[in-house]
Amino acid sequence: MSPQPQAAVGAPLSRVDGRLKVTGQAPYAAEHDVEGVVHAVIVDSGVGRGRITSIDTRDAEAQRDVLRVISHRNAPKLPYRDNPGSNNPPGRRLRVFQDDRVLFHGQPVAVVVATTLEAAQHGASLVKVAYDTERPSTDLHEAERDKPTTYARGDADAGLRSSAVRLDLTYQLARNHQNPMEPHATIARWDGDKLTVWDKTQWVVGTRDELVTVFDLPEESVRIISPFVGGAFGSGLRCWPHTVVAALAARETGRPVKLVLSRKQQYFGTGFRPSYEYRLRLGSDRRGRLTAMAHEMDAETSSYETFTETVMPAGQMLYSMPNVSQEYRTVPLDVNTPLWMRGPGFATASFVIESAMDELAHKLGIDPLELRRRNEPNEDESNGRPFSTRRLRECYTVGAREFGWHRRSSRPRSRREGDWLIGLGVAVGVYETQRNQAQARVRLDADGTALVETAASDMGPGTYTSQTQVAADALGLTMRTVTLRLGDSLYPPTPPHGGSQTMASVGSAVLDGCDKVRRQAIELAVEDRESPLYGADADDVVVRGGRLHVKGNPGRGETYRSLLTRNDRTHVEAGGSYAGASKPERHSFYAYNATFAEVAVDAKLGLVRVRRMLGVYDAGRIISPKLAESQAIGGIVGGIGTALLEHTVTDHRDGRIVNANLADYLVPVNADVPDVRAIYLDGEDRKADPLGVKGLGEVVHVGVAPAIANAVFNATGRRVRELPITAEALM
Amino acid sequence: MFPFSYTRVSDTDEALDAGRRGGRYIAGGTTLVDLMRETVERPESLVDISGLPLREVRATEGGGLRIGALVRMAEAAAHPKVRTLYPVISESLELSASAQLRNMATIGGNIMQRTRCTYFRDVTADCNKREPGSGCAALEGHNRTHAILGTSDACVATHPSDVAVAFAALEATVHLLGPDGERRVPFADFLLRPGNTPHREQALRKGELVTAVEVPALPRPLKSGYLKVRDRQSYEFALTSAAVALHIRGGVIREAKVASGGVGTVPWKLPAVERHLVGERPSAALWTAAAEKAADGARPLKHNRFKTELLKRTVERQLRVVGGTK
Repeated sequence: MSPQPQAAVGAPLSRVDGRLKVTGQAPYAAEHDVEGVVHAVIVDSGVGRGRITSIDTRDAEAQRDVLRVISHRNAPKLPYRDNPGSNNPPGRRLRVFQDDRVLFHGQPVAVVVATTLEAAQHGASLVKVAYDTERPSTDLHEAERDKPTTYARGDADAGLRSSAVRLDLTYQLARNHQNPMEPHATIARWDGDKLTVWDKTQWVVGTRDELVTVFDLPEESVRIISPFVGGAFGSGLRCWPHTVVAALAARETGRPVKLVLSRKQQYFGTGFRPSYEYRLRLGSDRRGRLTAMAHEMDAETSSYETFTETVMPAGQMLYSMPNVSQEYRTVPLDVNTPLWMRGPGFATASFVIESAMDELAHKLGIDPLELRRRNEPNEDESNGRPFSTRRLRECYTVGAREFGWHRRSSRPRSRREGDWLIGLGVAVGVYETQRNQAQARVRLDADGTALVETAASDMGPGTYTSQTQVAADALGLTMRTVTLRLGDSLYPPTPPHGGSQTMASVGSAVLDGCDKVRRQAIELAVEDRESPLYGADADDVVVRGGRLHVKGNPGRGETYRSLLTRNDRTHVEAGGSYAGASKPERHSFYAYNATFAEVAVDAKLGLVRVRRMLGVYDAGRIISPKLAESQAIGGIVGGIGTALLEHTVTDHRDGRIVNANLADYLVPVNADVPDVRAIYLDGEDRKADPLGVKGLGEVVHVGVAPAIANAVFNATGRRVRELPITAEALM
Repeated sequence: MFPFSYTRVSDTDEALDAGRRGGRYIAGGTTLVDLMRETVERPESLVDISGLPLREVRATEGGGLRIGALVRMAEAAAHPKVRTLYPVISESLELSASAQLRNMATIGGNIMQRTRCTYFRDVTADCNKREPGSGCAALEGHNRTHAILGTSDACVATHPSDVAVAFAALEATVHLLGPDGERRVPFADFLLRPGNTPHREQALRKGELVTAVEVPALPRPLKSGYLKVRDRQSYEFALTSAAVALHIRGGVIREAKVASGGVGTVPWKLPAVERHLVGERPSAALWTAAAEKAADGARPLKHNRFKTELLKRTVERQLRVVGGTK
């Protein structure tokens, strides 16, 4: 087929759902109007480990409007069939109200259901739970580690021994929570044996499969609806216990149940980016050519599930070197299970590797960008595959020019403005280009409008908008005549809306479906004696603004509407699909960036203020430039948080999270957000997927924290290897 | 939230009557409602005093200021008299909370606000302030933001207010109205150190109402200002802070008023620093030497050791900023 003109793709369009959102008409999980809904509030364990010895629910049950208090004492046994899918990590998932064990502080131990939210909340505060308490183990540094996952090429120890220059550095990375604006929430309703759930989730398919297995239901009996997600950053990639609690409470009370986690409950009711201790030994020759890296990573997980993330690949492929060893150990603790958070694994590895590279550059007296250029690999040395595209050198050049890198002095503490020391830093970010099987359904109606349905989510990046752009161009329609529907498990299935794979995977399925529909319409036209296109070569026909015409001869054509109406067709429809990455892959697929930071540090008072940030991205084709810029800004703001503020603090005496609220868990406020700029290199990656995209939601976050830490070093001469960077570390 | 009754009163007699019967006064509600949601506070009866005529800022004879208890933080900060006479008050208010909170919260409520200690705010943790005799989870717990001055074995929680630090520095007076009439309490005596009774936070008698804060006249010219050190640039409580007011005439410091926040169980007046300054000529060396005394008597905890040094540096910096030397 003739390639379609691209009118919408690449245009800096505003969100198609923007008006709905700013006028409050986009329904989020807790906002769906479900008749007869009652309210549930979870009672959290007040101890970090032990057994429940008694639960006194009398006061709660005596409250007017309280319908039921459910705990392990009166909950039905739930099937909890095995479910290796749904992003469940290996292990035995938490089973709500199935026994008296407490596995972590804040674990749900009961739920109060009432006809009003206030009664449910008050009732929950009246439930008295007694425990046989054990001291929990929540300190990463004190606990027994699991056996490592390893990687090796060459001989890292020997390589280090023979290196002219060696660094041996240990980094501490704090636990971070996703903290989306919208709280996690579920509304569950049973109609006989059919369960409908309105949920905050990044994956309606995964949530459906989890509820199917927990309650042992046929797949077609469970429907998950989640049209809008108010931010998630990974926290919606699993079906959490509270969703099961809501469904259970609805079944037990015979009423639709709404359950909204409090802000505090998000800290133990959903996942988090695990804390790490990460030791990196690095060797190079005197000219900065890397000889070896040895990575030892300890990361927290729960006692009941082994959560892992892609923290290893960056150390294997980012720079050229003959010798690499990696040991990645999970450390089971009495905490709830972590989950992916923006740029999972790569953000952690990048902080360590990029901080160490900066340290090496300083030690050798080589410009940090030049050091990276000297270690640029020609292929992915972990598997010998060529890179699909890898344009880091351009990122360095463009970034250095646009940021004014030449103004950086390599000598720390050399630029001062009053009490402020000024420093510049750079770091590289990388994230894998994930592509997985996805499907979409496309229908073109005789009135010339189209409907696209796919189970994917829009947690904020703008899936509605960007997929509409793809569909509009592929169908030859205007944005306004294409409607996209998302977030319903009845729609064609998609992979999780995470890992920056939605455009590559779902977008390719949407493209496929739209191409098929357009082709059907074109074939109908060229075979229709009454069509001006009769007899034309189908491959020469394109569609623009809903009108089919011969390429280069706009006069010869007709609209979808006239074509379908004349042929008595109410619509044309097709299923679109995308098969995912080819297996085995023939190339190495990653998105990259160089991120630059300028900071001001008041070293006496320990204050860091980020003044400017620039990200230069090699992310393949950019479908929606305005949304892509928003993504970059968001990723950078998140990185400022990781670098300077975010830290979930656990009291190891009892496993309690002591800052489980947004006053004490600090995220950047507007005043902390500086001049942020994003540059996406023009281009595409045709080897990755039909759209030529590489994914960008994760990579924009990776590399931000080390760029800031490196700038802090340049400003102060102080190397901070612990995140977040605090006042006390700089004083 | 526990059930409660709610009454709105329109004059002070009505308020005192309700207060005498055990009602809790509520104005902006920015602290109290928060704590009620967490079930830290469980008042049975709330008496809304927002309608009382205590919303005036006026100059007193002799050049001081009287700020009504129900003046909103935002109003007080923007008031021309406050701005010109005591910039330190305006600055401390504007560096507090968020714009939305400053539009709701009152001066009286601000000085009455309760600590941000996370153990105090978590009803499942031990806290002598919330539940006398239960113990102090912060003492051996996570205590980075806690106090290093004025602490006891029963409590190490900081007083969170910024403007109270300015009031303490300026030696303000709290005006109270109770069943037995009016009285005035020096600011230094109004907020109580925890000792063995950390649940007692103010020198208030039953049913007493804060009606105003009066800032005394100080000799002019007076330079003053507030410095707040915190992890993020806005909407956070102080790690350390310094309120400084200096009267310099003929090149000599004649009066010095200095207090710090974020470090004490109450706003921490620094008389030793003040004494060191009075009679001296401003100089960098003087600021350093005076600030050296800011942390006298500090008892740092495991996670807040840095506050001792940070406090000195904060005071030194703000002396320099207000005192105007390089």
